[in-house]
Amino acid sequence: MDTMGKWRAVAAATGPADRAVAEEGVRRAYRDAGLPEPERILWAGSPLEAIGIVRALGDEKGPSARDRVRTKPWADERRRVHDALGPGGWTELWNDTGARLWDTTRALADRIRAGILERLTEAAGIDEASDDAPELRLAVETETRQLLLDAVLGQHDAAWLAAFDGRSERLEPLVRIATAAGWWWPYEKAVVICERPTELHRDEAGRLDHGSGPALSFPDGFALHAWRGMPVPAGFLAELSSLTPARIREEENAELRRVMLEFYGYDRYLAESDARPVHQDESGILWRIPMNGDEDVVMVEVVNSTPEPDGTYRTYWLRVPPSTGTAKEGVAWTFGLDEKGYEPLRQT
Amino acid sequence: MYRQGDVLIVPVAEESVPAHVADAPAESRDTRGRLVLALGEVTGHAHAVLGAGWLVREPGPFGPLVLHLPTGGKVVHEEHAAIDLPRGWYRVIRQREYLPGAVRIVAD
Repeated sequence: MDTMGKWRAVAAATGPADRAVAEEGVRRAYRDAGLPEPERILWAGSPLEAIGIVRALGDEKGPSARDRVRTKPWADERRRVHDALGPGGWTELWNDTGARLWDTTRALADRIRAGILERLTEAAGIDEASDDAPELRLAVETETRQLLLDAVLGQHDAAWLAAFDGRSERLEPLVRIATAAGWWWPYEKAVVICERPTELHRDEAGRLDHGSGPALSFPDGFALHAWRGMPVPAGFLAELSSLTPARIREEENAELRRVMLEFYGYDRYLAESDARPVHQDESGILWRIPMNGDEDVVMVEVVNSTPEPDGTYRTYWLRVPPSTGTAKEGVAWTFGLDEKGYEPLRQT
Repeated sequence: MYRQGDVLIVPVAEESVPAHVADAPAESRDTRGRLVLALGEVTGHAHAVLGAGWLVREPGPFGPLVLHLPTGGKVVHEEHAAIDLPRGWYRVIRQREYLPGAVRIVAD
């Protein structure tokens, strides 16, 4: 497998951690940083559980060792490689490696952080009717964010570790942990380290996406639900299988209604609702669905140019701005062109 | 112009290509020696060009990608038929979809 394939797989890895490899990596990272090995290495089922363990440890864990075991070696190696390659060479290396994984892994880590904040705020049982609710909420969020700052992201550090692949012996302990486990919290006397997810489902664009269960789940039960990247409540997915056009029209939250529409299928919705074709030309068919209290949904229906393996041609729908007047104008818009400028000679 | 799935490849006249593009740092080829126009993040399926030439990231009306094929090339994808491209300069455009208040790239 090529380097980026390997790191893409690390970032998306699921299944039990290789605890022996990860713990050996942790001990070596501490020795390399000139620190005594941690007295205790504790395992957590998810980053959420890890935060709980870290809080419970209190002062026993000692100060954070993150800067010494992770940040300083990384900064030193970055400087060394940057000096060896020059600014242009470094940029080229980054564009070829880390940059390709950066957006999707950062988005995933941000979603996990947001999920943790949400759960811990809920768990604090703040009475929303009370006057000091905003203050209490802020206190929980501040403490949680501080604890999240102490984390090293393990497998989700794949983007920047990819840039150093084969170039840095010194980062080897961090590489070993990243390939064996999830997030970890290094403190002087204790390390809390997480299992990897049990399940991770994403769409082609790399967004969290699963229609019949959590898009991301950890062995302790911490889970996130999402449909094409859009966070949705867990119960919402159960309802999707029994949707009707009427229920979709009634949904007041525009984002959830969009999820419902996508899940239900624009084609079914078009067939069963009062949608009407507005225009047809060689590019496809333009449809308009009126929405109460919201802008119309306007879509072009187009037929894929390449047949499926069974010889049939797949029809698909692309949503376009409500001002679109013709099917061709709609397709041209999807490529940032105007109707006159869109003349494909060949399509597959 | 040529369309393969969610990627549109539009010929541009050589004289209208900004002069600095020829000297701009080129995108690296992938491990199979191909110029990757768009990569599916999860499947790894790619719209990629085989042949001599280079690919440059360019902001503005000629971007986001400018492709130069001095002797022509072929654009391939795991799920679409290949398309032969004559020699010349092209701009490469990814398909997008409308969302109220936002626009997103189409996941092919």
